[in-house]
Amino acid sequence: MEQTTKKKVTKKVNNLPKIISSYKDYQLTEGKKPASVYHFMTKLKLKEEEFYKYFSSFEAVDNHIWEQFAQHTITSIKSEKVYGEYGAREKVLAFYYTLVEVLKKERSYVNMTFKHSKKPEFTPTHLKGFKSKFEEFTREIISEGMNSEEIVERPIISDRYQDGFWLQLLFIISFWLKDTSKDFENTDAAIEKSANLSFELLGRGPLDMIVDFGKFLYHNR
Amino acid sequence: MRKEQTSIPTSKVQRASKFLKTGAKVGGNYIKHYSKKIFDSELSRDELDADNAEDIYESLSELKGSALKVAQMLSMDKNMLPTAYQDKFTMSQYSAPPLSYPLVVKTFKKYLDKSPDQLFENFTTQAVNAASIGQVHKAELDGKELAVKIQYPGVADSISSDLKMVRPIAARMLSINTSELEQYIGEVESKLIEETDYQLELKRSIEITAECAHLEGLKFPNYYPELSSERILVMDWIDGKHIKEWLETNPSQELRNEIGQSLWDFYDHQIHNLKQVHADPHPGNFLITEDNQLGIIDFGCVKEIPLDFYEQYFQLMHSDVLNPDYDIESLFLELGFLTESDTQKEKDFFVSIFKEMIEMLGRPFRVEHFDFGDDEYFKQIFEIGDRVSKMKEIRNSKSARGNRHGLYVNRTYFGLYNLLNQLQAEIKTGSESLVLS
Repeated sequence: MEQTTKKKVTKKVNNLPKIISSYKDYQLTEGKKPASVYHFMTKLKLKEEEFYKYFSSFEAVDNHIWEQFAQHTITSIKSEKVYGEYGAREKVLAFYYTLVEVLKKERSYVNMTFKHSKKPEFTPTHLKGFKSKFEEFTREIISEGMNSEEIVERPIISDRYQDGFWLQLLFIISFWLKDTSKDFENTDAAIEKSANLSFELLGRGPLDMIVDFGKFLYHNR
Repeated sequence: MRKEQTSIPTSKVQRASKFLKTGAKVGGNYIKHYSKKIFDSELSRDELDADNAEDIYESLSELKGSALKVAQMLSMDKNMLPTAYQDKFTMSQYSAPPLSYPLVVKTFKKYLDKSPDQLFENFTTQAVNAASIGQVHKAELDGKELAVKIQYPGVADSISSDLKMVRPIAARMLSINTSELEQYIGEVESKLIEETDYQLELKRSIEITAECAHLEGLKFPNYYPELSSERILVMDWIDGKHIKEWLETNPSQELRNEIGQSLWDFYDHQIHNLKQVHADPHPGNFLITEDNQLGIIDFGCVKEIPLDFYEQYFQLMHSDVLNPDYDIESLFLELGFLTESDTQKEKDFFVSIFKEMIEMLGRPFRVEHFDFGDDEYFKQIFEIGDRVSKMKEIRNSKSARGNRHGLYVNRTYFGLYNLLNQLQAEIKTGSESLVLS
């Protein structure tokens, strides 16, 4: 998103971390967004225009925070020594597990801002950056998985694999937010099981046999 | 490689529906059975039992953890199950899809703050073995080979809800009433919950292995508390063969007796001296090493035997119990085999049955040497079990007819007898066991 590139603009004092943390703090203690950028910045004893150097709106701050969640997760798993040895399935699993750990540190904030629409094609603005980071990651995994044949290329639906992973991610986050087990152990189980299932489906399996058989019957009867 | 299941029912609702399905199917099998029976009065219950066992097994095998453990337990308590069930259940020695390596890493980071490759010089990313509630990885540290057991997440959480769903099935399967079942399930539940606590297992493993260190022919791993936690347990890797594999190498009678004797002495010492026993004599928990020592692993399931129960129970093994002038009725009352509300007729009936069973099961205790290779003996045991489980007096019995503490002690002996039978070993049994205080 442009906002994040804009922050690089030469500035003697970097107010970005301050704005982000105060914004989070405000939301969590007040239970709502600040009434206006003006109001918010006055409390910080800063000029309103200072805010616009980094963000165009509060939405954009949320977007930035969420994007950082994803970025953080990706950097952290890629720095693991074993990451290189992982197959596609393990890489995706590592992402989910690490993301949940990252989110755990700010669970209240996540709980407050994580809203997803029932329609998968519609993503709330503040999750857009998060989604695009995640999609960048899964694109990599999918093409890798196809090379290693962990994932099968199928006409038409191949292009939708992306969306599948996104839905899975939304499922995991909502599961985690509702999880009441100690240390969110059930979320670990949910991640393991759902990712395993999806990779079973993505790999060559009964699904392909059914389609293949169907095609055969169609052509020969 | 084990075949990975394509789906595992996850939520409670899904699991519940799985069980309901089984319940319905079992019901269906009964209908099938009785409608066939109208036309063919010769039809034996065996077919029905086989059908039921199959369906129950199928549904249980799709469940992880506790429900499976119950199946395992029931399969070991052979006397409670008709033959058809036993065969199926012994297959439930369990296979579930292994944990992915990222989850293993996560578990390590969560509990020990370090990843496996930071803690060990070597660590297998694939599990080398599955345990009923976890899996085992092999690791290396300071030139030592280690076995690292990691628990599946959420197991502890799901036990109670799993068992709630097992209840109706078990009641139908074992034809016992709810009050009886409640006692037993409560006992199983508390043991299962203990099994998920690796800290407790660690403590007990260290204690019991120290107390048994003087026994000959046994080999125990060292345990590593600093590398263990609630969900991770680290011990020495023991190289050896499972009993079945070992038997394939055609060991001599002498060697088989030796191994069998070590096993017997191990249990004897625990039950009579320590009053707490490794209550999981499942073949997977024993390894026979290159130099013919018996390696013992997994102290997840330990039964502490209360003293008053101990005294009553082992009175049954006394030789004079079967004498006609012995007051066996009051002993049976104390053990809960009989209740005060029983009529004289019921009392006579149950006394004769229990006496017969005690004569059979206690036989090894009443002689100096016992040949567990005697298959005829085992056939008789199963025959009694089968007969008893089909008696309508037993089926319709409203009282518990047993003692909850007996469950794991009996299980231990059944397991032990079975292992000794597999080994075809002759054992010096008439030892300290009969010298009761």
